[in-house]
Amino acid sequence: MKDVISTLSKKLQNKELSSVELTKAYISVIEKQNGAINAYVNTTFDTALKQAEYADKLIKEGNAMPLTGIPMTLKDNIATDGLLTTCCSKILRGFKPYYDATAYKKLKEQGAVLLGKTNMDEFAMGSTSETSVYGAPKNPRNLSRVTGGSSGGGAAAVCANLAAYALGSDTGGSVRQPAAFCGVVGFKPTYGAVSRYGLIAYGSSLDQIGPITHSVSDAAVVYDAIRGIDKMDMTSCETPSSPTKLDGQVKGLKIGIAKEFFEGLNPEISSAVNCAVSAYQKAGAEIIEVSIPDLKTALPVYYIIACAEASSNLGRYDGIRYGYRAENYSSVDEMIIKTRTEGFGKEVQKRIMLGTYVLSSGYFDAYYKKACILRERIKGEFKKAFEKCDLLFAPTAPNTAFKLGFSGGNAIETYLSDVSTVPVNVCGLPAISIPCGTDKKGLPIGLQIIGGKFADGKVLFAAYFAEKEGLCTLPEIEGGVKI
Amino acid sequence: MSVTVKEIKTLARLSKLDFDDEKCKGFLGEFDEIIEFANTINDAVVGDTESLKEVGGNEIALENLREDIVCESLPNEKIVSNVEAEGGFFPVKRVVK
Repeated sequence: MKDVISTLSKKLQNKELSSVELTKAYISVIEKQNGAINAYVNTTFDTALKQAEYADKLIKEGNAMPLTGIPMTLKDNIATDGLLTTCCSKILRGFKPYYDATAYKKLKEQGAVLLGKTNMDEFAMGSTSETSVYGAPKNPRNLSRVTGGSSGGGAAAVCANLAAYALGSDTGGSVRQPAAFCGVVGFKPTYGAVSRYGLIAYGSSLDQIGPITHSVSDAAVVYDAIRGIDKMDMTSCETPSSPTKLDGQVKGLKIGIAKEFFEGLNPEISSAVNCAVSAYQKAGAEIIEVSIPDLKTALPVYYIIACAEASSNLGRYDGIRYGYRAENYSSVDEMIIKTRTEGFGKEVQKRIMLGTYVLSSGYFDAYYKKACILRERIKGEFKKAFEKCDLLFAPTAPNTAFKLGFSGGNAIETYLSDVSTVPVNVCGLPAISIPCGTDKKGLPIGLQIIGGKFADGKVLFAAYFAEKEGLCTLPEIEGGVKI
Repeated sequence: MSVTVKEIKTLARLSKLDFDDEKCKGFLGEFDEIIEFANTINDAVVGDTESLKEVGGNEIALENLREDIVCESLPNEKIVSNVEAEGGFFPVKRVVK
C-alpha cells in the first residue's frame, strides 16, 4: 500500500507541485467521480483552495509539517466552524457549527486542506451508511455493494483516491469496518486519545475519532497530529506517541488468538486472517491462545449502553436553536415532538426508543445497570488476555461488504455484523483494521489488530509488518488522483 | 416478554416522538425483536449480579477536571446564527399566557 501522505508531502516540499495544484486535482476527480460513489455530501472547495494557498505559504517559509497542504475529508459529524455539519440527518439540515472540533483544529494548525464532509449513517447509527438522508455511498471496489459504516463516505473517498485521508468516528466499529469493506486502513485509538470536542455525540463513553488512510504509516502520521489532552474534553488523555520508526520487525511479538472471535466465522475470512497470522509467525512472532469468554455478550451490552447514551445525547434536538424545525404547531411541546418525529430517521428513532426503555425506572436495573456491570467484566477479560500476549489478532468483520439494500431486512442480523468490533469500544481499547486479502468475489477482508489500553503505538507497529510484507496489497481504483 | 402498544406510546412520549396507532403496530414486532436481543445479556450473568463488580464509571481521570470557573463564552451572535433570531434570542411560540 502506498504511503500517500509522505509521498505527497515530499513532492510539496520539493516544490514538484503546489498544494493549490494538488487540491485542484482532487477537486477535479471529486467532480467527476462523486456522482457514482456518493462519498461526499457537502464539498468545501472554496475553503480548500484558501487553505491550500495558506499551506503553500507555510511550505515557502520553511514551516511545513507532515500534513501541510495535504487534502483530506471529515465525516459529517465533526464540527467545522461555518461549514455545514449535518450528521447526514434531516434534523440538522442547514446546520453550520460556530466552532471547530479539536481534531480539525489540530489539522488546520498543520495547514491541512479540507475538501468536504463525507457520507455516514444518520447520527453514526448503522453498519452500512445506508441510513444517511443523502442516500448510501457506494463501495468503489464494487458499486453494487455497501461501503460499510458508519464512516462509509470517508472510507469510499480514500479508497477511490478522492482524498489523501479521512477522519471518521468509531463508536462500535465505524472506522474499522468500512475500512475493511473498502480495503483501506482504519485506526481506532484508545478511548480519550483524541478529543471528542466537536464530535457530535452518539454514545459518549464509546465514541472515538480515528483516521482512515491508504497505509499504516499514513494512519500513524494523522494519529500523531490529532491526539492529545484537551481541556474541552475531560475524558481526553495523553497517549504515548507512535513509534518514530516503523521498521516492521515482529520477532518475539506475542500474538494472542481468542477462539471466540473465530466461532462460526465465514471460512474465507477465517482463512485470510489465519494466513496473515502465519506470516507473523514465520517472521518470529509467538502465537498464544487466549480466551475472552464474554466476547459475544459485548454486542448486547454495547447496544444497551450506546442506545441509552444516544437517547440522552439526542435529547438536545428540539428545533429551537439549530437545524430543522417543523411547521404548523400550536405549542412549543408540539413543535418539539413534530420536529423530532419528522427530523429523525427510522433507525435513530428506534435507538432513542430502546435507550429510553433501558433507562426507564422499571427496566434500569435489568438492562442498563446489568450492561454496565458486564462491561466491567469484559474489560477484565481483555486485561487478563493482555497479561499473556502483546496484541490480539481477529477479523474486523464476520463478512465482506453486503449488497446495497441487504440491511433493510433483519435489524439483528445487521447488528451481528459488529460482533468483532464492538468489544474494543466497550473496553476503550485501540485497534486497527488493515486489508488481508479478498473473498471469491474480490471483496476486501480486514484483519483487526487489538491492543491493550494505551498500546496504540504497538498496534501501529505490528500492523506495519503486514503492509511491509505485502499482505495488504489490493488493486488501485481508477479515476482518482494518481499519486 | 412482549412490549405492548401502551408501552410503546409511553416510551414515545418520554422520547418526545409521535407514534400513532399505525406506526406503533409497525414498530411493535421490530422492537420486540430488539428487546429479545437485549435480553441475551442474561445468558452471561451467572448467579447474583450484585456480587459482580459494581460499575466504576468510565475511568474519568479526576486530575483532568478543570476548575469550576467561568471561561470565555462564544459570542451571542454566533450562538443564534442558525435561526432567524429576534434581538439575540431564539424565537419560539409564547409559553406563558
